[in-house]
Amino acid sequence: MNNDTPTTPLAWVNGSDAPEKHSLDIGFMALSDCASVVVAATQGFAQPYGLSLNLKRQSSWAGLRDKLVSGELDAAHSLYGLIYAVHLGIGGTGATDMAVLMGLNQNGQGINLSAALQRQRVTRPEALEHFVHQSRTKLTFAQTFPTGTHAMWLYYWLASQGIHPLHDVNSVVVPPAQMLAHLQAGRIDGFCVGEPWSADAVEQGQGITLATSQSIWPDHPEKVLGCTRAFVEQYPNTARALVKAILAASRFIEQSPENRRSTAQLLSGQAYLDTPLNSIEPRLLGDYHDGLGNHWHDPHALRLHDNGRANLPYLSDGMWFMTQFRRWGLLREDPDYLGVARQVQQLALYRDAATAIGVPCSEQNMRRSQLIDGSYWDGSDPAGYARSFALHALAQTPAALARR
Amino acid sequence: MLRILLIDDTEKKVGRLKAALVEAGFEVIEASGLIIDLPARVETVRPDVVLIDTESPGRDVMEQVILVSRDQPRPIVMFTDEHDPSVMRQAIQAGVSAYIVEGIHAARLQPILDVAMARFESDQALKAQLQARDQQLAERKRIELAKGLLMKMKDCNEEQAYTLMRRQAMSKQQKLIQVAEQIIAMSDLLG
Repeated sequence: MNNDTPTTPLAWVNGSDAPEKHSLDIGFMALSDCASVVVAATQGFAQPYGLSLNLKRQSSWAGLRDKLVSGELDAAHSLYGLIYAVHLGIGGTGATDMAVLMGLNQNGQGINLSAALQRQRVTRPEALEHFVHQSRTKLTFAQTFPTGTHAMWLYYWLASQGIHPLHDVNSVVVPPAQMLAHLQAGRIDGFCVGEPWSADAVEQGQGITLATSQSIWPDHPEKVLGCTRAFVEQYPNTARALVKAILAASRFIEQSPENRRSTAQLLSGQAYLDTPLNSIEPRLLGDYHDGLGNHWHDPHALRLHDNGRANLPYLSDGMWFMTQFRRWGLLREDPDYLGVARQVQQLALYRDAATAIGVPCSEQNMRRSQLIDGSYWDGSDPAGYARSFALHALAQTPAALARR
Repeated sequence: MLRILLIDDTEKKVGRLKAALVEAGFEVIEASGLIIDLPARVETVRPDVVLIDTESPGRDVMEQVILVSRDQPRPIVMFTDEHDPSVMRQAIQAGVSAYIVEGIHAARLQPILDVAMARFESDQALKAQLQARDQQLAERKRIELAKGLLMKMKDCNEEQAYTLMRRQAMSKQQKLIQVAEQIIAMSDLLG
């Protein structure tokens, strides 16, 4: 039986692996991919492991980062790139050793264009490339954090279409939930953001979804459960219990379409995404429409569990973000890609937790993927990979990019 | 600025201690004598620290300290002439954050209060953790009870019962514990 509750109630809590800290403040952003964290905290997945999870909704990634580093939050639903940027000391805070406890999801982000561009028939990648290189006005694209996943998807996708993300367009940072307002006001021409905000813009007739993040990299790494390394070292049992609770919740959500639908209903609540169900549920179940009349069931839609495949913190997943930091000049020199990933990705802790609750774990620490431009990434030659792209900013000073 | 509620059992001492505190830059609110309604007084004044200067911390003082630390948790610093270690232990158990034997030296006030406040904060954090743990255990028992009731009502297994409860909770944007309480209440009603 696939039961996520220990069968001997209360017994082991007093054992040697009892959590050192019982009540945790967990940060999250109002995004569909926070689902496992919210379900774990509210649906009784944490108590069996001796934890209470207090959900703390944050209004910006920079704010979430600051609270995570200061210890005001014990752990948080975080962008992969955010954790690595803090660890490497890129951005507004000094370098702090960080940890990725587990992957929270793959896929489920989108690149949208405004209704104004749609009216000018810029509705296909080639049309956008043409517009960018022919028009006098420079388009402005928003992402959610200078070193975040959305910046990296946006840059990667634009570059794959022959558009230099740092020279040919302007790039600004906007918190996810405010994307639509800025798009409507005409302050931005497009954005890259997590669901439900891409779907919500389409739902409200404010433009189109031009590309999904899974079209850039099917089953790409995205959000993680992040914390400081100090937290893992001080509270190792708590960290393991937390992974068990959230992993069990992610398994529950994907157990049936009914569970996914109830999850969408929970997320739409005021305390979480505070957004109509219509904007959340379809893409959470894989049903996409792009605002141009195209409908499809996406085989690589948001994955919160996928029998553990979405949760294992592969070293190559963490390393990829560092290769892109290097590619776009956020890192001036090559870091010790593998060494840093080994410090940050808590593979052993994850495997302990997953095995304890019967979630299968790959023995592999790296995985191989093909991205939209045809290139392969398997973690074997990160420095070479970072230099392999036609469009890049390897020589660029990081200051201009890291500015917030 | 730290706001201090100053309590003393002798008028002449208050004058001396108050002067020292004001000089050290604290906001001082006086309560003359050991007042009976100390908890209520703490409630109105909302001090950062309660400072008690007493010749002998007898049973009455301890009783009041217990009441204050239960209902209006605040760091409590006690100055006294009493050297008896058992009295000191009693005071710490009652919720006193710092227990200072002998008279007051103005220069020593700030570090004493700093330590008292730090100690108080760590005590509070510990208490919160313990409370959280008690609540987890209590919630877990209620959820298990509701699950058992539902298994009987629906003639289903444990996992099915959990899934039904969770789906119900999520579709109503509630927590699992809320649905568990509803099931228990309904079962009581139907007897």
